[in-house]
Amino acid sequence: MNQRLARAIAPLAVLALVVTACGPSASSSPSTTATGGPETQAPPATFAPASLRWYCCLGTGEDPSQVPTEEEVAAGFGELHPGSELKIEIVTYDAARNTLSTQIAGGNAPDIVGPAGVGGLAAFEGQWLDLAPYIQSTSYDLSEFDPGAVDFYKTDEGQIGIPFAVYPSMVWYKKDLFAEAGLNEPPHGYDAKYTMADGTEVEWDYDTVREIAMKLTVDEAGKDATEAGFDPEKIVQYGFEPQRDDLRGLGAYWGAGSLVSSDGSAKIPEPWKAAWRFFYDGMWKDHFIMTGPVFESEEFSGGGYAFFSGRVAMSENFLWTTYGVADAGTDWDLAAIPAYNGTITSPLNADTFAILKDSKSPDAAFAALTYLMDDASETLLNLYGGMPARPAKQDAFFEQLGQSDGFPAEVDWQVAKDSVAYADNPNFEAPMPKYNETLDILGTYLSKWTTTPGLDLDAEFDALEAEIQAAWNS
Amino acid sequence: MTARSETIAVARVGRTGSPRNPAELTRTALLTTAFVAILLAFLMPLFYSAITSLKSPTQISQPNSPILPSDPATFTWNGVSYDVYYVPLPDGTTRELALVTPGRKQSEFIDPSNPEQGLISWQGSWRVLDQPWQLAPNWDNYAEVWGLIDFPLLLRNTILLALISTIGTVLSCTLVAYGFARFRFPGRGFLFTLLLATIFLPGAVTLIPTYTIFNKIGWVGTWLPLLVPAFFANAYDVFLLRQYLLTIPRDLDEAAMIDGASSLRILRSVVLPQAWPVIVAVSIFTFVYSWNDYFAPLIYLAGHDDLLPLQVGLARFNGIYYQNPAFIQAGNIMTLVIPVALFVLFQRVFIRGIVISGVEK
Amino acid sequence: MDQLPSVAVTRPAGAAGRLNLRAWSKLTPLARREARQGLLYIAPWLLGFFAFTAIPMVATLALTFVNLTLAQREPLAFVGLDNYVRLAADDRVWHSLSVTLRFSALWLPISIIVPFAIAVGLNSRHVRGAPLFRSLFFLPYVVPFVAGVLVWEQTLGDNGWINDVLRLVGVEKPPSWLFDSTWIYPALVMMGVWGIGAGIVINLAGLRAIPTELYEASRIDGAGAWAQLRHITIPMMSPILFFTLILGVVEVLQYFLVPLVLKNGTGEPAGATLFYNLNLYRTFFTYQELSYGATMAWLLFALTLAITLVLFALSRRYVYYAGAR
Repeated sequence: MNQRLARAIAPLAVLALVVTACGPSASSSPSTTATGGPETQAPPATFAPASLRWYCCLGTGEDPSQVPTEEEVAAGFGELHPGSELKIEIVTYDAARNTLSTQIAGGNAPDIVGPAGVGGLAAFEGQWLDLAPYIQSTSYDLSEFDPGAVDFYKTDEGQIGIPFAVYPSMVWYKKDLFAEAGLNEPPHGYDAKYTMADGTEVEWDYDTVREIAMKLTVDEAGKDATEAGFDPEKIVQYGFEPQRDDLRGLGAYWGAGSLVSSDGSAKIPEPWKAAWRFFYDGMWKDHFIMTGPVFESEEFSGGGYAFFSGRVAMSENFLWTTYGVADAGTDWDLAAIPAYNGTITSPLNADTFAILKDSKSPDAAFAALTYLMDDASETLLNLYGGMPARPAKQDAFFEQLGQSDGFPAEVDWQVAKDSVAYADNPNFEAPMPKYNETLDILGTYLSKWTTTPGLDLDAEFDALEAEIQAAWNS
Repeated sequence: MTARSETIAVARVGRTGSPRNPAELTRTALLTTAFVAILLAFLMPLFYSAITSLKSPTQISQPNSPILPSDPATFTWNGVSYDVYYVPLPDGTTRELALVTPGRKQSEFIDPSNPEQGLISWQGSWRVLDQPWQLAPNWDNYAEVWGLIDFPLLLRNTILLALISTIGTVLSCTLVAYGFARFRFPGRGFLFTLLLATIFLPGAVTLIPTYTIFNKIGWVGTWLPLLVPAFFANAYDVFLLRQYLLTIPRDLDEAAMIDGASSLRILRSVVLPQAWPVIVAVSIFTFVYSWNDYFAPLIYLAGHDDLLPLQVGLARFNGIYYQNPAFIQAGNIMTLVIPVALFVLFQRVFIRGIVISGVEK
Repeated sequence: MDQLPSVAVTRPAGAAGRLNLRAWSKLTPLARREARQGLLYIAPWLLGFFAFTAIPMVATLALTFVNLTLAQREPLAFVGLDNYVRLAADDRVWHSLSVTLRFSALWLPISIIVPFAIAVGLNSRHVRGAPLFRSLFFLPYVVPFVAGVLVWEQTLGDNGWINDVLRLVGVEKPPSWLFDSTWIYPALVMMGVWGIGAGIVINLAGLRAIPTELYEASRIDGAGAWAQLRHITIPMMSPILFFTLILGVVEVLQYFLVPLVLKNGTGEPAGATLFYNLNLYRTFFTYQELSYGATMAWLLFALTLAITLVLFALSRRYVYYAGAR
């Protein structure tokens, strides 16, 4: 997808997804009730039997707890279409872009790739198959989706995906840690305020987060980060954990933006700088956010999601966090994303399945794709914690999600539904020039900031901007 | 080789003046102890890995947990499991109590030996309390990893790859070494130098076209790129073999030649029977080298899980199960046990091989 | 770098290594037969050399003058020295080269001195059980490299045993070996030192080959241990040390597999493990820039060649060959 088009599309598309995801209006579309879901249709045998490869995970899907179910789903395709088979290959998110590049380079491209996020698709732009002819020839029913959501995956390569799952962001917090500290829990509603321990009501913004997160950060001796004698070298519990997978995402919690400025040059959005500063000072000055080495330590899930350790009081993350959050204990809940400068932004992930152009059996691959998105959709959406892009399915989804093994009896899923209205627009994973190179540069700076105290952040931001620009120029 | 062993033997005789006086004895004791200490530190990562491989996830996520695999003591009360701590009480005694409601300044405990007594309030920070642990090695980790990583498949692939490469390498290198050691031909010196020069060539300078060509002819995603080059000899092993063949006297060759034996026959029935020590050395080296190879299978077998050898399988396993270090270390131990066992069985051959290739000139 | 089989020590073939094709016509029929047979025996290597070394090398060179990428969105064209110009201006390339060179500066001396020192120690008559020590020091050399990296990853963790020991001896804030852009280098060196078993064995064999009369004679002359080390051991060992150095240079310039496994090839922390070869590997496989990757490969080759040649030139002055012509 070229840049100009991408920029034009991203805002529209996210808006469309948002409308689809939260708008009850869309669910009243007549076709939904009329067809009664595609599961009931007999599978048309319009393709030659083939052995297909399903490549995971440019999005979620790699967790050991998810893999057996994915394998079952893959095997189910073969049972449905004797003679064909679908085999899943799990490559961890960290290595997924590299390995897929290598496979494509080796003429050894898989057929289906997914779940792939917006960024996963952007990283391989130009390599995806246009699904439009297949949608047409099999009369695949797109009417259940909002047209805008379908257009989200329309690029100048064509229709490269079909809406599948959306993951809004929320604050995940541990009720027991708030209780232990004698603090009130964060607000669930997006218009609510936060009540401090002394009863005063304050805005639910990042200043408040900093204040309570420091009280929730505790050292070995039981002293919190606001107390004299607190030892930042011996912290056993942290107050706050941002979504630190990607600097762009980290910034997007403070405000939507893009590194591609209006004239096409590289420019860091102002809210992102504020978010990064908060992150940096939170690690090195106020100590309520863990530094890189602590984040990687075994005690805090060894580089996974620290919230799962059960010793992080609040964490901002996407809905797919459900895959592993049971490890955090049975007393977590969801709260609203805090405001920055009066604006609330809940970055959105959206996953789908796509077919690579190099697939040797595109017809069979399309059949497998629709199998994953229809027959297996309930299983997979549940497994991934992905809110269905089919609005009619959302309530049932949350009901089933709430019954997951090891989840607390009461989780306020309404927060997740409400969060979609605050989705970031443009989406932080939207395409940019030299996608993989730029991500590597961002990764290098992220790694530097999480491991190096005493940096001059303004100089860092300038250097980062310059380095990205240089990569784009070459 | 024979000459070499003699030199070493002579050197040893020279060294045997055994120290008698106390000062000498003290020096011996000190130096030997120092070496024991260095060696222990050197091998410590292996012990540490073995110990970790037996730990439970609970223990790993707990700061200040004991070194050996252990589980914290817990007490189940009203259907909920609570951690037990050593609690110093105001009466001066310390008791093992289960923590029910933690608080910053005050916490509620229950006494496992007397739960009817109800909750006991205790002033202070529960975080400074120690926990009782009991030794509990998790042997199940190995059984689980065996299945999760599909160890039998990886092992089969690794052994097959290593065996075929070894056969190819020994065959081709023996022929080439025989050619260099026993035949005179114009340009032999130049070609031998060229052969040795390839040792200094960075692999990257041939990687891109090689990969692209293997890809074009459909070899990527098969074992061929890993196996075929083995049949075309390599500098290290040719060198090793040639050096050894040069030490074998030519008298027998010449006698056989006069009897009209072909050169291939001389190789088979005269040279090889005398060269077996170096052939065993080359075989074991190649086997272990191929066992440990990572990069070539990584790039040529990407996406073909059923063809992967242990090394790549282990790296992938690490990517997926990084949150469970016990699993990772169990996988490590399972992977390293075979080459280490081979070494223990054949240490003389290993060390002799290293010596020939490293010291001869 | 733990992967290369043992160090091969050889002297430059010098004059013997000149190719003289005219020699063929001067051969007697018998000698010609022998020559044909010899060439036949080395044919596997010759074929392999052309197929897997010579032709790919030339192809790599040719690639540097075009604009080949995997997706090839622009038409293939001759671009002259564009790739080289881009290389010269590419900060990432120079950064990665400096990473490699900095690591080399730390690793090379250690990789030569440590095995030598341990071998000298083991060779001392004051150490009992040297063969057992030798075997045990060699042991990690056979540990598969991925397993070795993962074992060390845990050992060097913030709460791994090395830091536990450091805390025990009173270090308040032990380093974060794997996540600090400075400490990562000593950490990588430690992992490398784990594979020095072969080096110890070679050094030990070399030491034992030194005629004991030399030491006895010097002892009669009143030389102490230090003087013996300086004037006998080191000169007699210089050929071995020199070739350890040469091969060490070739290997260390290509170093990247350990960081690839350890950090998933991300170059973390903060780009400190973005070694030159890792950058090259990513340029080829991830960014899929074939021509540019080839250009980087040639820079590496040129550098390796230059350093090796300089070292060989220096060796004439510093390396002592017993019984040399």
